[in-house]
Amino acid sequence: MRCVSLFRSVLALTAAVGLCATSAQAQDDDPIQIGAIYLMSGSAATYGKFAQQGIDMAIEEINGAGGVLGRPLAVHLEDSQGKAATAIQAARKLVYQDESDVLMGLDSSGVAQGLVPVLPELSKPFIITHAATPDVTGKLCNKYTYRISVNVHQNMSGAAEIAAKTGAKRWTTIGPDYAFGHQSWEFFGKYLKEKMPNAELMSEVAFPRFGAEDFTPFIDSVMASKPDGVLISVWGGDMVNFVRQANNRGFFKQGFEVLFTVGAATEVLTALGDQLPEGVWVGTRYWYGAHDNELNNKFVSGYKKRYGAPPSYNAEGAYMAVYAYKAAIEKAGKVDGDAIAQALSGLTIPAPTGQLTFRKGDNQALIGPTWGKTGAMNDADKIRSLTEMVTFDGQKITPPVDAACKL
Amino acid sequence: MSTDNQTMTVSSRPSRKSSLRRITVLVLTVMLVLLIALPWLVPYFYIFIATEILILGLFAASFNLIFGYTGMLSFGHAAFFGMGSYVVAMLLQSFQWPLLACLLAAVMVAALLAWVIGFFCVRLNEVYFAMLTLAFGMMVFAVAHQWRSVTNGSDGIAGFSVTSFGLGLELTLGNPSVYYHVVLVLVVLAVALLYLICRSSFGLTLRAIRQNPERVAFCGLNVRRYRLAAFTVAGAFAGLAGGLMAPFLRIASPELLHWSMSAEPVLMTILGGSGYFLGPFVGAGVFVLLETWVTSMTQAWMLVLGIILALMVMFFRRGLLGTILHWLQERK
Amino acid sequence: MGSLSLALLNSLDIGLLLFIIAVGLSIVFGVLSVINFAHGALYMLGAYLAFSCINGLGMPFWLTVLVAPLAVAALAVLIDRLMMRFVYQREPADSLLLTFALLLILNESVRLTWGTGIHVVEPPALLQGTITLFGGIQYPLYNLFVIAIGGVALVGLWLLFNKTRVGKIMRAAALDRDMAQVLCINTRLVVTGVFAFGAWLAALGGVVAAPMRSIDPGMGDKIIIESFIIVVIGGLGSFPGALLGALILGLIHGLGGRYLPQINLMLPFVGMAIVLLLKPHGLMGRRASL
Repeated sequence: MRCVSLFRSVLALTAAVGLCATSAQAQDDDPIQIGAIYLMSGSAATYGKFAQQGIDMAIEEINGAGGVLGRPLAVHLEDSQGKAATAIQAARKLVYQDESDVLMGLDSSGVAQGLVPVLPELSKPFIITHAATPDVTGKLCNKYTYRISVNVHQNMSGAAEIAAKTGAKRWTTIGPDYAFGHQSWEFFGKYLKEKMPNAELMSEVAFPRFGAEDFTPFIDSVMASKPDGVLISVWGGDMVNFVRQANNRGFFKQGFEVLFTVGAATEVLTALGDQLPEGVWVGTRYWYGAHDNELNNKFVSGYKKRYGAPPSYNAEGAYMAVYAYKAAIEKAGKVDGDAIAQALSGLTIPAPTGQLTFRKGDNQALIGPTWGKTGAMNDADKIRSLTEMVTFDGQKITPPVDAACKL
Repeated sequence: MSTDNQTMTVSSRPSRKSSLRRITVLVLTVMLVLLIALPWLVPYFYIFIATEILILGLFAASFNLIFGYTGMLSFGHAAFFGMGSYVVAMLLQSFQWPLLACLLAAVMVAALLAWVIGFFCVRLNEVYFAMLTLAFGMMVFAVAHQWRSVTNGSDGIAGFSVTSFGLGLELTLGNPSVYYHVVLVLVVLAVALLYLICRSSFGLTLRAIRQNPERVAFCGLNVRRYRLAAFTVAGAFAGLAGGLMAPFLRIASPELLHWSMSAEPVLMTILGGSGYFLGPFVGAGVFVLLETWVTSMTQAWMLVLGIILALMVMFFRRGLLGTILHWLQERK
Repeated sequence: MGSLSLALLNSLDIGLLLFIIAVGLSIVFGVLSVINFAHGALYMLGAYLAFSCINGLGMPFWLTVLVAPLAVAALAVLIDRLMMRFVYQREPADSLLLTFALLLILNESVRLTWGTGIHVVEPPALLQGTITLFGGIQYPLYNLFVIAIGGVALVGLWLLFNKTRVGKIMRAAALDRDMAQVLCINTRLVVTGVFAFGAWLAALGGVVAAPMRSIDPGMGDKIIIESFIIVVIGGLGSFPGALLGALILGLIHGLGGRYLPQINLMLPFVGMAIVLLLKPHGLMGRRASL
């Protein structure tokens, strides 16, 4: 390496470093900053988009009514890209560069498992509105992490009840090959055995990789094993692909019970339309047509008017998280990370699903899933309607605090 | 590559050279001081950025040993980077070893992996080499992705904490500023070592292989063995970078092994300039800073990156550093 | 044995679709010595255009099969004239890098244009539903159509390369570009033409695949890896090699997915590595030529 060239390289590099040091970004906050991390790209990106819509609607309503402690709300949105590492860096950026006061987000359970242990360093409260792995309110719990949406325990408890009612004995599963898919099956099995001791959990199960394009080998193998019931936890673009390919194979005509753990997502139902057959059970954290109270009616009609479609569960979760923060900040009286995190504990707020309480022991909201059977097409909303709807009571369906969580 | 085309005049050359050398050392020292003082000079967030730049710069520099110096384009370099991350993460999670010990293990495992993969790949030329390294890289990715019992599959290994550094030093590695300095020291040492390697006769042989492998073979040297050695050394340094990345990110996930991660050092090296030793670092700096700034404003970061890369390849093949230096040289 | 036949039929189906996509990549390399990293993105563009044509413009499927790939081919001509021409004479690394940049640009442009949602294209009415085959297997009609299209493409391409002048010119340019130029073949036209032809094939694959898969911004990335594996197994630049590689990969997916789901993700790579170790130029090698 010639000395001259090295010298000049070094000079250029010094200039670059000097440039970095001076290009600081200052930001003054009058608004209270909300930092949000969702899936904005890839095949499940609609979830992120709908969450954003929920947030925007909540912020507009709150700001229109005077804001929180006299200050308006503002949101910064980052794309997790479905990767924990990206989410962690996004969280750091939101807190240190964008000076977020509170955080929310997360669609993927895998991402949640990676991000939650890092939250205490950031010292800001985080409300999870979608990711369902029980670990974040279990062995990974900390005083900054809250979840406003249903977790796998609650959902699978409800699923097991539905399954037991159908009387089907031999069950198998098709789920995505990561935390969510495996944990869904694990807890479904556990709760099903409690409710129906003679249920059989088949050893032939299918775990296609999340984002797999071709489900036909898994569809074929499940059909060949002749179960009585199938628990399906694929979601997002995978579920769309799956249903279409399954239709082609005659999967739904085989006579076994089919339970889609998170099937009642408007993101997916809109894409599928009438391709999703009638008579399958679908679960959700929130179904817009399942709650007849003033708050829900106002929320749903407001959302429909603003966005032209019924609200998905991700939208409702995000919407409620903003309101939860409003309540917590008002209770704490100040915009301080630790104070808000403390104020959220045990907080009860009115929600479209009824009264929503964050349980003190693990910061999990005590709400129950809604399950229903697909029925005729709802032409106004252009998706399948749900019949035989059951909304489980959060207080009853939530299992006790995980011993691993010591808050 | 920078070629020596300046003529030597007998009298003036040596003194000019020694004064330039002195200036270089001075500038390097100033830069080093700036880097050490960085946490007190820039906003808090940029400490993370700087740490990331240092780590990825080392990763890119290790890549350039294979690409810029030896002339092989590898699209699977992330296999060694990711392997380093996983080794450190697993050791920290299961055994809580001091960080230095974990890094040492990461370097050795990554070097071993590079030796094995290199053994199969260096027999082939150009395009085939690129595709085979891609294949092996993705194979390592697939293993990490599928082997849930060991690697925790797509969720990766998280929830470990870095407590001790080793050598009896008491350092709060959880503090971003402290960790930045640790990374700085280790990267500077690694870069110095890498520089010595590049300047040695080994490095010169590599450059000769890049320019004309047949001639080198005719000189009686075993080209394949040199390539394999370069590949292994590069893998070792990449493993070190990956090992430093795991505590920084707090997670080791399969994405660190994916071909899109392998593409990053490629992009950084092209951005900075593959013909210069510090080119990859310049590229890493520009890349990370650009990414941070652009992603604040728009979601279309990949589009901007693609356009920049396209323009660089088409018109500024020497890279940023190369173009600047070339322009400076032309002016003389 | 019904499930085995089903798996084999799946393999054929997947394999032939992959063939249409991969052969374009192979041809472009064979003639231009360029690996087009953006080949998968062009496939994806074909699928998205099909979506827009069918769902947005209400075009019938048959018309879309004609129009969409041609549109993508036209784009490829632009790319060749404006971008690729700078790197053709340089070392292979440069063209890899440029096509990689192209991949990023196309991926993001698709995402910006069509959004991130899940898009669905229905098979044409004529091809919906299933039919019962031998052994009582229910097989989707559209998948049979794909097998048929694959067969037609196979025969068509073989005829092109072996029986037509255009094909012979392409093979000549592949073997020896300078000689071809000396013989007054317009290599400029051949280069652009081949690049566009490769894109056309990729987009055709995309249009045909659209009713079978859901259309999302990640589909290009998935297919490019598959295409690489195919052309490496089969032999870069070899037409029968691409067929062989595609069928092998189809088998891996069809059978592996059905019987060996645990290691399914790794099998294609292992296959690729093994072939390269034993026969570095692929099973059919470059010597077998187009």
